[in-house]
Amino acid sequence: MSITSSIFLIFLFFVFLIYFLIPKKFQWIFLLIASYIFYLFSGFGKILFLLFTTSITFFTGILLEKTDAELETILNNNVKPLSKEQRKKFKDSSKRKKRIILICALLLVLGILGVPKYYNFFAQNFNSLANVFSLDVDLSLLKYLLPLGISFYTFQSVGYIIDINRGKIKADRNFAKFALFLSFFPQIVQGPISRYDQLAHQLYEPHSFNYERVKFGLQLMLWGFFKKLVIADRLSIAVNSIFGNSFQYEGLSIFIGVLFFSFQMYCDFSGGIDIARGIAESMGISLVENFRRPFFSKSIDEYWRRWHISLGDWMRDYVFYPLALSKTFARLGKFSRKHLGNKIGKIIPIIIANLITFMAVGVWHGPYWKYVAFGTYYGLLISIGLLFKPFFQKIVRALKINTDCFSWRLTQISFVFTATTIGRYFVRADGLRHALQLLRQTFSIFNPWIFYDGTLLNLGLRVEDYYLLLISILFLILLEILKETGINIREKISHQNLVFRWSVYLIGIFAVLIFGIYGQEYDAVEFIYRGF
Amino acid sequence: MEKLLGILSNVRPDIDFSKTNQLIDNGVLDSFDIVMLVGELNEEFDIKIGVENLVPDNFNSADAIMDLISRLQNE
Repeated sequence: MSITSSIFLIFLFFVFLIYFLIPKKFQWIFLLIASYIFYLFSGFGKILFLLFTTSITFFTGILLEKTDAELETILNNNVKPLSKEQRKKFKDSSKRKKRIILICALLLVLGILGVPKYYNFFAQNFNSLANVFSLDVDLSLLKYLLPLGISFYTFQSVGYIIDINRGKIKADRNFAKFALFLSFFPQIVQGPISRYDQLAHQLYEPHSFNYERVKFGLQLMLWGFFKKLVIADRLSIAVNSIFGNSFQYEGLSIFIGVLFFSFQMYCDFSGGIDIARGIAESMGISLVENFRRPFFSKSIDEYWRRWHISLGDWMRDYVFYPLALSKTFARLGKFSRKHLGNKIGKIIPIIIANLITFMAVGVWHGPYWKYVAFGTYYGLLISIGLLFKPFFQKIVRALKINTDCFSWRLTQISFVFTATTIGRYFVRADGLRHALQLLRQTFSIFNPWIFYDGTLLNLGLRVEDYYLLLISILFLILLEILKETGINIREKISHQNLVFRWSVYLIGIFAVLIFGIYGQEYDAVEFIYRGF
Repeated sequence: MEKLLGILSNVRPDIDFSKTNQLIDNGVLDSFDIVMLVGELNEEFDIKIGVENLVPDNFNSADAIMDLISRLQNE
């Protein structure tokens, strides 16, 4: 069920009610049941995938720990003390065993994600390649809809297994509790991708009804609904018009489409995350942030520390660091330092590891060449940034540019915004070719007259919609600026007087109810006029 | 410690490591800094810092890093 549907709100109401009424020791069990009920709404068969991943991960964790325990027993054997060589032999064989267990588990868990998600991509490309060589091969494609949240919970389980292997956490010995960690319904749809040591204990601990917390949670949800239903879904009307008939548009029209899409994407994704975090917060569970005002980033790598944070952190800890700190890359570093000099040489392995990591980020989004391009684009941008950092710094110093002022920050922010807007062509386009075509169309003409010749009113939005969007987005930007300066909005509101507080809440609720986009038949203007 | 502070200044000349804490928690050092730093530390102190050592507690301050180095040297 969609998290913006009324059936979900009814579901949520009952979840909250029961969660706070039942004895605390049953709370986590109830959350597990609620999460699986929520999951079943997305299709009965799909739950087998979740159970498969849950089982493999759970048993792998215990197996890894058992292997460690066996080693401990052998090493601490006082009956017949072992020599240094013997100790090393046992340690090495234990390490090898754990590595095999780890690799098998990863193959299974990532395989059950990878095969449904990427098989068609490989098959199509294989077919095309075979055609080039006039081979009569035609791999048939799977007709498939991915299980809900598989990209998210799979990564969560992989993180769990690797953390156990690294000795960071202890394996969960309760299958039901562990099942909750992977299926917790607020985060299963679109994350955030949580870590076991951060989330698990919160899910299992008892939580009492706390008025302040529930209030803040509901407010966060309201803000999420506002961003999604009032801003994102409204923008999507125009965005879909432009991208659905993109050959009709050129120049600034396409750029406006991508710009709108940037706001749509941010409001939709961060709105959904706010709803998820608000639900969890009401129940006393804190989910990690996934967005930290990304449009205030002063560099591309900072952008990726503020946008889809949980994915970036995951990639850093489980792809980037292992690669960059591996023996292979250490050797690569020595090699490049020898042949390219110390300064550039030591950056090369970092750049390559970074490129691979970003290509993984790209491909995670979906089995399309446009996402490969997307990842490569950002990988290259950041790599160039790293390589030329000392050079850029020299230029800035030579030109005596003041870097401690608002105008410089604005320049940096504008650069990042432009770069990320270009990146978004790859996300919204139908494919890589379409994205490149759109980029060409954008720069083919400079047509500012679209702003007053009625083009913008032929995208499915009326003047009133644009006014509403303008006010909403300005309000959004205002709140983001306040938050960026460290002000906690919800706390500030709670310190105000009753009339102000309740005005804010009621305005918010009515704004969502009246101005939310609820489908083609629903017309906000009509609704207002009819009501009055 | 002097050697460590030298290496740290090499990686990030803009930071005063004798005074700054919460290097990880406050995002002072990013993942590229960490990787560069680990490479230099491994070389200079003849240790092997692994991914499992990359936790905030080990890198939040120059002192914390020094502790990590000593621990790894004694292994």
